[in-house]
Amino acid sequence: MNKFAYLAVVSLGMLASVDCIAHHSFAAEFDGNKPVRLVGVITKIQWTNPHSYFFLDVKDSKGIVSGWTCEAGNPGALSRRGWNRGDIKLGDTLIVDGFLAKDGSHLIDARRVTLPNGRNVYGGTPGDGGPEDQPSGAEPAKN
Amino acid sequence: MLSWLLAACQWLAATPLGTGIRESDNLFSVIETIHVLDIAGTAGVIAIVDLRLLGMLFSQSEVPEVLSPLVKVAWFGFALMAASGLLLFGAEAADLYANPAFRWKMLAIIALGLNQWIFHTGGPRVLAAVLSLGLWLTVIVLGRAIAYVS
Repeated sequence: MNKFAYLAVVSLGMLASVDCIAHHSFAAEFDGNKPVRLVGVITKIQWTNPHSYFFLDVKDSKGIVSGWTCEAGNPGALSRRGWNRGDIKLGDTLIVDGFLAKDGSHLIDARRVTLPNGRNVYGGTPGDGGPEDQPSGAEPAKN
Repeated sequence: MLSWLLAACQWLAATPLGTGIRESDNLFSVIETIHVLDIAGTAGVIAIVDLRLLGMLFSQSEVPEVLSPLVKVAWFGFALMAASGLLLFGAEAADLYANPAFRWKMLAIIALGLNQWIFHTGGPRVLAAVLSLGLWLTVIVLGRAIAYVS
């Protein structure tokens, strides 16, 4: 994508009041300077187009549990990387490395997900321009 | 507000077809691609019609000569656009119900229909052509904006 188109997309994203349930570039919603790691128990799975979501209960250092939403790529993009819908289920513990939403809500972009079987999967939307962006079909990065 | 409409949208999204498309590996993107390419083609054909009505394109040819083949293509394109759009809507209906860009887009499509109807009952053709160009542009921009607002 050329610079102008990129700026246009980013500006449009910033103009719009961004919440969840939308299809967009990484920068429209997330801050690439705010990495985060969540370890939590899955409470809800949305294996959906144009983005998938999974919801985690995350316990902080004081033992307080709070709910987080993790946004990932669409089902086709994830299954092409070997992450199929049956690989996670309610109650499983996930480790998710991602980036915080710009609006400060409990929403992250799930860039790297450690599945219950220990396998690492890239969770991003192909071509979204975010950190470690991997277009569809690209080799997964080494861990 | 309009709780029956919300209920209908939620019902549609929960049908096997809506759920199947929403959770599909490839079907959603295939339908989305058809929808977007079809809008590009159909709005392009309609723009040629509008520009002829404004005398800015093919003005050496008679209006019916330019319009009659293009209008057939435009109706075919519109039918495919509506069908693919309905399937995409079904997949996300429960969320789209509240999406302001989607709501405005539907109003713009209704306005396009009214404009078409008024033109066919003998309304001024220059105004119809200008409104058509502006409204199609609006529909395309709002369609893309659906993904960025909620």
